[in-house]
Amino acid sequence: MGLRIQSIQKVYPEFRLQLDFEVRQGEFLALLGPSGCGKTTTLRLIAGFIDPDSGSLHMNGRRIDTLPAHRRRIGIVFQDYSLFPHLNVRDNIGFGLRMQGWGSKDAKERIEELLRLVSLKEYGKRKVTRLSGGEQQRVALARALAPRPQLLLLDEPLSALDAKLRKNLRKEILRVQRELSITTLYVTHDQEEALVLGDRIAVMRDGHIEQIDTPKRIYNRPRNLFVATFLGQANIIRGRLAKREGELAVVQTPVGTLRVSPSQAEEFGASDEVIVFFRPEHCQMGGTKTNRINGRVVQKEYLGSHQLIEVESNGARFTLDLADRVTLVTGDTISFSVSPHHCCLFLQ
Amino acid sequence: MGKTGQPLEAAWTGGRRAATGSGLLFPLLLLAGPAFFLLLFFYYPLGSVLVGGLTDQSGRISLAVISALLRDPYYLKIIGFTVWQAILSTLLSVLLGLPGAYLLARYDFRGKRLIQALTTIPFVLPSIIVVLGFVRFFGNNGVLNRLLMALFGLEEPALKVLYSLKAILLAHSFYNFPIVVRIVSSLWRRIHPSTEEAARSLGAHGFRLFWRVTLPQILPGILSAAALVFIFCLLSFAIVLVLGGGPRYSTLEVEVYRLAKVSLDLKTGSALALVGAVISLVFLYAYIKLQQQSSFAEQMLEDYERPRLASLLRSPWGMFYLLYLLLMAVVILAPMVTVVAYSFQVRSGWGQQAVSLEWYRRIFSGGAYLRAGLNSLFFGTMTVLLALPLGTLLAYVGSRSRFAGSQLLEALMMLPIGISSIILGLGYLKAYQSFPWNIVGSWYAIVFAHTVIAYPFVIRVASATFRKMKPSLPEAARSLGAGPWQLFWHLELPLARSALITGAAFAFGISVGEVNATLMLYNEKLVTIPVMIYRLIGSYNFIGACAMGSVLMLFCFLVFLIIDRAGGEV
Repeated sequence: MGLRIQSIQKVYPEFRLQLDFEVRQGEFLALLGPSGCGKTTTLRLIAGFIDPDSGSLHMNGRRIDTLPAHRRRIGIVFQDYSLFPHLNVRDNIGFGLRMQGWGSKDAKERIEELLRLVSLKEYGKRKVTRLSGGEQQRVALARALAPRPQLLLLDEPLSALDAKLRKNLRKEILRVQRELSITTLYVTHDQEEALVLGDRIAVMRDGHIEQIDTPKRIYNRPRNLFVATFLGQANIIRGRLAKREGELAVVQTPVGTLRVSPSQAEEFGASDEVIVFFRPEHCQMGGTKTNRINGRVVQKEYLGSHQLIEVESNGARFTLDLADRVTLVTGDTISFSVSPHHCCLFLQ
Repeated sequence: MGKTGQPLEAAWTGGRRAATGSGLLFPLLLLAGPAFFLLLFFYYPLGSVLVGGLTDQSGRISLAVISALLRDPYYLKIIGFTVWQAILSTLLSVLLGLPGAYLLARYDFRGKRLIQALTTIPFVLPSIIVVLGFVRFFGNNGVLNRLLMALFGLEEPALKVLYSLKAILLAHSFYNFPIVVRIVSSLWRRIHPSTEEAARSLGAHGFRLFWRVTLPQILPGILSAAALVFIFCLLSFAIVLVLGGGPRYSTLEVEVYRLAKVSLDLKTGSALALVGAVISLVFLYAYIKLQQQSSFAEQMLEDYERPRLASLLRSPWGMFYLLYLLLMAVVILAPMVTVVAYSFQVRSGWGQQAVSLEWYRRIFSGGAYLRAGLNSLFFGTMTVLLALPLGTLLAYVGSRSRFAGSQLLEALMMLPIGISSIILGLGYLKAYQSFPWNIVGSWYAIVFAHTVIAYPFVIRVASATFRKMKPSLPEAARSLGAGPWQLFWHLELPLARSALITGAAFAFGISVGEVNATLMLYNEKLVTIPVMIYRLIGSYNFIGACAMGSVLMLFCFLVFLIIDRAGGEV
């Protein structure tokens, strides 16, 4: 159940979209990717604004790609809100109800219910053009949800808002989604949003999905270098797989021998060219003897609660995310280490 | 990348597969009525003019009539003069309009809104009023000459402009320069001064700054305004007919009218009309192309602070602009004020100061004058009822669907702008005098002609709105369950409301002021106000003409108010 996107293909002159994934019933799936990767096109395909060249869409077991957009029962929240400027808040929310033939009494109740849900109880009669960005976005959400859609699509709904409001509203969206447990697909290029909101995240690149997984696994166990570097900050160093020591793979790199516990060890053969990857916050000053790297501090970035230290070591650069209390000066030589199970291995 | 472009898919239902049976049906259904109407009352009459011009006396296809025409020095002179006066009028209008466009685009001042509104005048003020105003204001016996004679104690009128090329040019540029102000300033306003500031910081200033940085940016607007003015001047009828004052200054339009109504030579008339149509269509095409170009800037609308006009007037250029503003006010307002003032005179002759409502009493006491007024109201109302749905549907389909040949369709829809109403009237005469039925001299022939003339303006206003609508609005509505009809009724029509009111007012104004086609098609029972004015001028009854003109101006003023209030883009 939920939304099944089956072998969908859409070819453009310079771009090809190939999709095969599922949004589970009641799940919040965040579709994350750089701009131009096809996220919005995916959303528009599902909504029925674009037709795929091949493949099919199923909603709760029923095929929907043969239906026109207005019969798919999919709610959409647009990036620019797209509220109807000639209608007030109440009529915007009630628009879908009217289109789908709700009785006026039911519609009225439903509108009240939604105004309460998005905390805009007193706003019914306001003109939408007089609302703030955040308020408009709530109205857009209420409008999409009013006719009880089977699926909710959100297209970068927070990107036009300022940082603080964005954080508040994303909590709000999550609360509403949980309350209604509506199957939701949320398109964003903001990794933080995806991590906070998604039950699962689908990372997209060049028209296909690179990895679809829980936020934790996406962050800690990225399947490839693209996912690793797209989410969060990454340290990478190229090397050659030397041998195995039980669970661990031993990699020769310009900065010394690194030991890695790869998740899919069987994928790698001896003397493969590989890339070792680890996160800045997993680096420790000093630390254990394994995976110790020596280098020189070349740059510092102070970020209040923590600091980013850039270290140069034998031509390679690493970023360390350290607590504020560590005092370092540019030019200091330091050594740091990272534990093998915080490292990932990719083929070059 | 598919984010916006899906060129071949009709946007109605999401396209080919999802459409399941209603893909192209909906637009086709919407188009059926308008297409039928235009076929019967525009393309068929136009076709019969075409056939008339391209066949010889025995009905065989031949270029004989046209080639004879193109060898005849008399007609060659007329063609040459038509183009020449249009070029001169256009140049003058652009020169007069540019400073105004600059002021409106770059400065803030009290009364700016009013001035902006006044630039709609050429669209709503009937040309017959311009003619009348000019005769009364600039004429040998007009206000200006009397004033100059009194001031300087002259025996003779100081300015003899009437019945000459000067009069035509003056009237054309007065009539059309506000179009330049309007089109150019609306583009100019959207160009953020930051590019000029950047250029200034790089060392450009004065004329070089204008030439290198500003002009290239506003050029599409200037060209598109010029092309439009050129077409208007090319097709101008009443102004040339009266102010040209005879065969010496005849243009294609006037000559076609004479051939059809005086010499009753429809064949030569058709051939000449054809030549005129080809010329004007070339420029119509240029205009449409240029207009597409200038719409780039529309996305960049971001407001910025404008200096007060007072700061400019205090600068060295201040005198120039002050003079300009004064002159423009006089040129625009004086003829109109003259018409109204003169209508209250008792007898011709400015010397007698007797103010009287004599002519208004005559108009409202019934008879031919009242009937002309009622006829105009009736034709106007009927034209709105036809042109509004026609133009709206065409604009809707045109702006919502893209399919192979939709550009051609758009050009076909806008064709009446480039086809003069004289040719249209001629077409009705040729096509419907005998077969299939005689509609010439019927009220609906005039209504249909007015509708054909007015609907492109409805399209212009309506499609601007339809195109400006964010595509995500209909998408949002569709995702909420709105099918094609619901989308149209509940979203797009209400959103276009102010544009439609503007369009309706326009259609009314055009019908009420129309004189060309009406002159070709009317009979004694169907006299309209402009036709009556024309006849009164012909019999030198200027007070009567001015009284009728004042009534007509009142109608046009109402139209103007509605357009201004509705705030639709013109």
